[in-house]
Formats: sequence, C-alpha cells, structure tokens
Amino acid sequence: MSKFTKEMVNDLANKLLIGLTEEENKMVLDEFEEIDKQIAKINSIPNIKDVVPMTHCLDDFKSELREDIATESIKIQDALRNSGATEAREIVVPKVVN
Amino acid sequence: MNYLNKSITELHNLLINKEVTSEELIKEALTKSHEVNAKYNAFVTILDNAKPTEITDDLLSGIPFGIKDNYSTKDILSTGSSNTLNNYVPFFDATAVANLKKHNAVPVNKTAMDEFGLGGTGTTAHTGIIKNPWDPTRMCAGSSAGSACAVASGVYPYALGSDTGDSIRKPAAYCGIVGYKPTYGMISRYGLFPFASSLDHCGVLTRNVTDAAIVVDEMKSKDDKDMTSWDSSNINLYKNLTKDIKNKKVCYIKEICDINNYPNANQELKKHLDNFYQTLEKLKEIGVEVKEESVDKTLLNALASVYVVISCAEATSNLSNLTGIVFGPRKDSTNIFETMKKHRTEGFSPLIKRRFIIGSYVLQSENQERYFRNAQRVRRLLVDEWLKLFTKYDAIILPVSTGPAKKLDQNETIKNEENTILEEHLQIGNFGGFPSITIPNGFINNLPVGINITGNRYNDQTVLNIAYALEQQMNYQNQIAREINN
Repeated sequence: MSKFTKEMVNDLANKLLIGLTEEENKMVLDEFEEIDKQIAKINSIPNIKDVVPMTHCLDDFKSELREDIATESIKIQDALRNSGATEAREIVVPKVVN
Repeated sequence: MNYLNKSITELHNLLINKEVTSEELIKEALTKSHEVNAKYNAFVTILDNAKPTEITDDLLSGIPFGIKDNYSTKDILSTGSSNTLNNYVPFFDATAVANLKKHNAVPVNKTAMDEFGLGGTGTTAHTGIIKNPWDPTRMCAGSSAGSACAVASGVYPYALGSDTGDSIRKPAAYCGIVGYKPTYGMISRYGLFPFASSLDHCGVLTRNVTDAAIVVDEMKSKDDKDMTSWDSSNINLYKNLTKDIKNKKVCYIKEICDINNYPNANQELKKHLDNFYQTLEKLKEIGVEVKEESVDKTLLNALASVYVVISCAEATSNLSNLTGIVFGPRKDSTNIFETMKKHRTEGFSPLIKRRFIIGSYVLQSENQERYFRNAQRVRRLLVDEWLKLFTKYDAIILPVSTGPAKKLDQNETIKNEENTILEEHLQIGNFGGFPSITIPNGFINNLPVGINITGNRYNDQTVLNIAYALEQQMNYQNQIAREINN
C-alpha cells in the first residue's frame, strides 16, 4: 500500500495555503509515487551518506560583506504601489487578532 | 526592408552609417511583435511606446531586444507569466536589464514563459500556450519559450532568458537558434524572479554565437545586490572570440550518445544521434580531439529526480512571498489566511501547485534526509564526474533532447523512461554552474535540432570559441523560422 494518501496531500496543500481539486490531488499523488521510485535509486547508491551535500553551484564561492554604509531604502510609495489595499502609509489586511 | 533578421554587428554598422535609424528598427520590431503574438502567443506585453536611443560605439545601442517576463522591469508589467502577479509593476530594473539599458539597448517586449520558470514546455503561461514558429503544432520547450520563439521569428536579434534546468538551452534547440547561459554568477540575478536560487542562471537567446558573446559582455557585472555575482571585468567574450581551436579536446558520453542505450528508439532519435556524430566529425576536421568517455549510469539515472527535489524545495521557499497582500491581485476575504489561500488557489496553475507540494514534502524534517539532503549529495557526485572530465577535456559535447520539438498534443505522462537522461542531462550544467551553450546542428523532418557544449566554470571563453568555430563549419547561423507544412 502506498505511503502517500489523498489526506496527506491535502494536509501539505493546506499548510501551503493552497486549495486542490480532486484531479490536482491525484496528479500530486502520481508524481509522488514516481519521485519516490527514483529516490529509492538515489538511496541505493553506495556510501551516499558519506558525501557532503552540495548546496551551491560554486565550491570556491567566497562570501564577502559589503562596507557598512547606509544606502537609500525603498520609498514608501514604491513599496505600496503594488498592493491591492492601502491606507496612508500602510497596507490594509483583514483583522488578524480578535 | 527587413532589417531585424540581421546580426547585431550588421545592424550596428547600418545604424552607424545612417542607413537605418533606431526608430525604424523599433517600428519593425513592434510590427513583428504583434504579428508573432497573434500567431504564436510569444509575449505578455508589447511596449508600443518604446523610444529610440542615441547611436554610440556601443554595439547594442539603438537595437531592439526582448526581456523574459521574470526579469523585473521598471514601470513595466512583470508577471513571470503567472496570474498571481498579473498586475505587478516593479519600481526597479533587474541589474542585467539596467546594464543593457546603459548601453542604449531598447526593450520592445516582455516574453511569455512557463509560469515562474517552473515548466519545460512553454504551455503554462497565464497568457496561453506558446507555439513553435517552425511548426505551431509543436512546443518551443521552456521555460524561455517566448524569447526563443521571438528570436527565431526575427523579431529582434536577441532576447533575455533564464535557465534553472535547461530553460534557455532546450528552447534554443527546438527553435533552431543559439542559447547561452554563462558560469553561475557572471550575470547578476538581482531582479530576476527567483525559482531555485542555487540553480538559477541569467542568459541570452540569439541567432549566432557572436551575438551571444556581445550581449553577455554587456549584461554581466559584479553586483553588490547579488552576493553570488563575481568580478568578470577581465573577461571580454566578444573581443577574444576565435575560431582557432586546434588541439582543443572535447568528449562525449557513451551512456547518453550511444544508440544502444535506446532499444526502443524511433526514427527521429536515430537520425538525431547520427547527426550528432556527423557534427563531431566537423570538429575533428578543424583539429579538435574528440573522445568518448563513460559515466556511471546509476548517477545519470538519478539526475532528473535530483533536479525535481532540489528545484521544488528551493521554489517552495522562494515563492512563499506570493500572498496577494503586498503585491499581486488581492482576493478579498474576512480572514488573512483565506485571502492568501484564495490568491494562491485561483492564481497558480496545477503544475505550480504540484511543484510546491513536492517541495514542501521533501523539506519536512522527517523527509529532509531521505529526499533533499540525498539529492544534494547526488548533485555533488554528478558535478564531480563532470569536473573530472574537465581535468582532461576543454568541454563536453552532447546532443540536446531526443530530437526536434515535440508535438503540443503529445501526452506528457507517456514519457519514455529510457530517454530521460538524454532529455534532462543539461541540468548538470546548472548543478555545477558550468558555462553551457546550445547551437543548431541540423534538421530532422524539416525541424531544427541542437547540440550543446559545456565547459568548466569560468571557462566561458573556451566554450564560446568551440561553439563559434563549430558554427562556422555548419550553415545554421542566423536562420529564421520557416513555418513548415504538415
């Protein structure tokens, strides 16, 4: 029996604040089965646990800190201009705390 | 007069000699943009008010170009081809765009793409399916589908793309043009909508290698706003372009190129691989040593899953700011979580939803080790294989995909598993941040096919020089799509 269930997929979707149709749920389940099959191949690679995970393209990448110089920040009007609901200098949202 | 099927240097000379004006080129590009959009659905926005610029010694001055819609463009709609950003107008330019504008380049449209770059077919843009200009019943591949379609249609000599798996290089092959992604970080990603930050590259689609060198020279810079960008000011790709590549060494990989790997190969695949080997002969004719190498197939078999796991995980994190609150169309509700849920449920395509759920699953603490960390481990093993080859060779040369562009009505679920490595191997270029270019190398059933050249990090010049020299041995540079009749 599959370890992936419709309920599990819906739970993951809810955590992401995404609603799924029945058809979309089924598509996720099918894809999970496929990925899990492939991941089993990865897990069968000998000594895989000894390999250091690669998190970045460039192994020689050196992180450099910028000089601590103040720069101009985003203008309030610019920050607000793509929001669907604003008031004065603020973005309006539904009430969060009752 | 049709000017925009010409190369950048040809257009520059015409502009300098006042045989054409920037205004005339823009007018032609806009007329073609509307025609191409009506036929192939290549654009999100056409900038009908684009203004001419001063013609200077800069090769790009006064010449129109296109921008993929996941690049932020100041005061211009930038949607990433998603309904969740269908009204988003940035207040700044991506650094790559700003760099081109400094050289008086003229943007004339924003090109459609797979939603946020997460697809490889050109079929998930919120504006509809992007069709291949050689055959509108076929796909362009993706995600830089609109850019590839426009360049192949002769709208302008170049368009910007982005490449997280093969999103520049596969559409280039399917549309018979050149697609180049330089070494990771050579071009700043500031202002590019992030998909998977450890894999995302900026790049360009053109109709010849010289134009790719010219454009990337002007796009690239070390940028304080992208800590992963690096100083490439000592690299001048165009100036150092040469077809003298005698004594260079390249290899191809048996497990990808040998027809015996594909017991169920169709005629297209057989012809594609035959054509690949014929192209290798052309390299040998100009003094390049070409050898076959072998790579552990267990690793190659894992590459597609490695890509899905890593890219979905990073995408889930990167795109979590799509709430519809700060930007994007607001969905009214009495509850903030319902507001966000409505925004995402109604805005995302089914593909994006699947990708996010997979990304979320592999990042759950109980799953991280089995999925995400192990995918990162295999990423390293695959990159190490490529790095080992680069100690012996200047580049790896491989066929792109399994043949020409696929039919749009071809059911994705009947993908042939034995072809997966051939379809997906370009992703290794993203795993390692390697410079990688696709150029056209022939036709199968009157449709273009491509070949890819990938080199070691920072060795972009060698990669471009091999591509440039090989391009001269063939007759496919500067080609414009000729719609075929089925």
